[in-house]
Amino acid sequence: MLSFLFWPFIACLILTGIHTYLGLHVIRRGVIFVDLALAQMAALGATAALLFGRDLHDPAAYWASLGMTLIGAAFFSLSRSRDEKIPQEAIIGIVYVVSAAAAVIVLDRAPGGAEHIRGLLVGNILTVTPAQITKTAILYTAVGLFHWFFRKAFLLISFNPEEALRRGYRFRPWDFLFYAAFGVVVTSSVSLAGVLLVFAFLIVPALASLFLTDGIVPRLWIGWGFGTAASLLGLAASVTFDLPTGASIVCAFGLLLLLPILGRSLFRMIRPGIRATRPRGNPPKGEKA
Amino acid sequence: MRPIFLFASFLLTLQIARPVEAAPVNVVTTTEDLAAIAKEVGGERVEVESLAKGVQDPHFIEAKPSFMLKLSRADLFVQVGLELEQAWVGPLLLGGRNGKIQSGAPGFVDASRGITALEVPAEPIDRSAGDVHLQGNPHIWLDPMNGKQIARNIAEGLKRVDPKGAAEYDRNLADFSTRIDAALSRWQERMKPFEGAKVITYHNSWPYFLKRFGLVAAGYIEPKPGIPSSTSHMREVIALIPREQVKVILMEPYFSDQAPKFLAEKTGAKVVPLPPSVSASAGINDYFDLFDLLTNRLAEALR
Repeated sequence: MLSFLFWPFIACLILTGIHTYLGLHVIRRGVIFVDLALAQMAALGATAALLFGRDLHDPAAYWASLGMTLIGAAFFSLSRSRDEKIPQEAIIGIVYVVSAAAAVIVLDRAPGGAEHIRGLLVGNILTVTPAQITKTAILYTAVGLFHWFFRKAFLLISFNPEEALRRGYRFRPWDFLFYAAFGVVVTSSVSLAGVLLVFAFLIVPALASLFLTDGIVPRLWIGWGFGTAASLLGLAASVTFDLPTGASIVCAFGLLLLLPILGRSLFRMIRPGIRATRPRGNPPKGEKA
Repeated sequence: MRPIFLFASFLLTLQIARPVEAAPVNVVTTTEDLAAIAKEVGGERVEVESLAKGVQDPHFIEAKPSFMLKLSRADLFVQVGLELEQAWVGPLLLGGRNGKIQSGAPGFVDASRGITALEVPAEPIDRSAGDVHLQGNPHIWLDPMNGKQIARNIAEGLKRVDPKGAAEYDRNLADFSTRIDAALSRWQERMKPFEGAKVITYHNSWPYFLKRFGLVAAGYIEPKPGIPSSTSHMREVIALIPREQVKVILMEPYFSDQAPKFLAEKTGAKVVPLPPSVSASAGINDYFDLFDLLTNRLAEALR
């Protein structure tokens, strides 16, 4: 039985690796649901390819979904406003529902293949193949290197926008690059593991690390540890109780998140007046990621 | 000491004296209908398990670890085919890593072999008919005559993986076919008064059943799987029901009854929930029960 879980577990490790890091960015920027919006844009692109009589496994469908992802990235980089009254999260939600509704309309007109669209948003981590994992690992490594290469700009703009402004960084091009790279990652991870699981990988470990520590590097390590533990727990539960694997991992993430939350509350009860971590908004230490 | 030793030898002789029973052939099917037919054909020699439960829509099944385990231990794997399980079976078969049952291996059975599929798109390359299944409609088990062909396919597969049982499988197959023929005339007798009656179905999953029992599908509530009907389509169906004198709207229990109920209110047609599979509702324990229930319920509704 354990041999069946080897590849799903490797897939979980790879997903944890990149999503924890991106999750720290996403939470700090306050664009929590951007992955859903971009994944839905990508699905819309693939659906549009159906409209032109292409198969979903056709390269044309892939390019169409990538194109839509980039359009989404451009839109999010333009919609960032300095006006506090217009939250980016609202715009992201609107993009999500409109592209989901547009996909329904396109499918109504498109010839066959409707049921395969579900497959774009409902990957199954239990049945990942080594080939899929290799492809994904290569892609994530490329995106990781890209982020490493431009880490100064990316980290500063996400975590300390005022300082970035002072130093004369232009936000729009960097935002576009951030969302484009993010969209590429999310599109492939969603088709591998499904929307629910990807959201859990993106937000939960990063959030857990925020409860426990400061600075990018310690947070990454905490997040990776958390993601690995939660994946193991979810996979084990899935086998022991024969549950759908993806859903069981998501629930494990949710349960494990209770630990840091409760731990922090206890800490505060014991030592009132002392904050477990520094207040948000201070520049993080350790910008050398 | 000695009595224990004697007793142990006695037990051992019992073991040796017992006729050697081969381990049963492990059969894993995608649906309960195939499992029911495999039990008929395999009889005592097989252990049969279905991955999907009768209450689930066989198009969409969520893979679970136990599926992998079952497939890894299977001697024979049976799928409906015609792209019905396309969304989930491929990766599972690979994941089970069992060479005996991969597509093309002796332990792999495609139940649709030798069955003339309905609704095969005229030009296979053209995806424009709005037809999801390029190889034709996959709900083949809803015609008892196809059930006979499915049983033949399974018997062939069983003979490939367990040649010793060939005679037994042939006997069981002949017996099953005879019983189907007898039952079919009973079911057709029951449906005879309603020949030519028009029905609306929710999803296009009943063409084999309707054709065998002389009924006609006047329209569908869901022109495409997973896509809610447009307003204009609903209006068409509402207009069509009185025009074609449709009395009943058939639907599988796993669909939402919102649209059928709406239509029923507007037109006075009756919504009839029909379980499309063995074990999809209580009291359907084998392939014969399924058609007993379907023909009974339909005859009742059309009366």
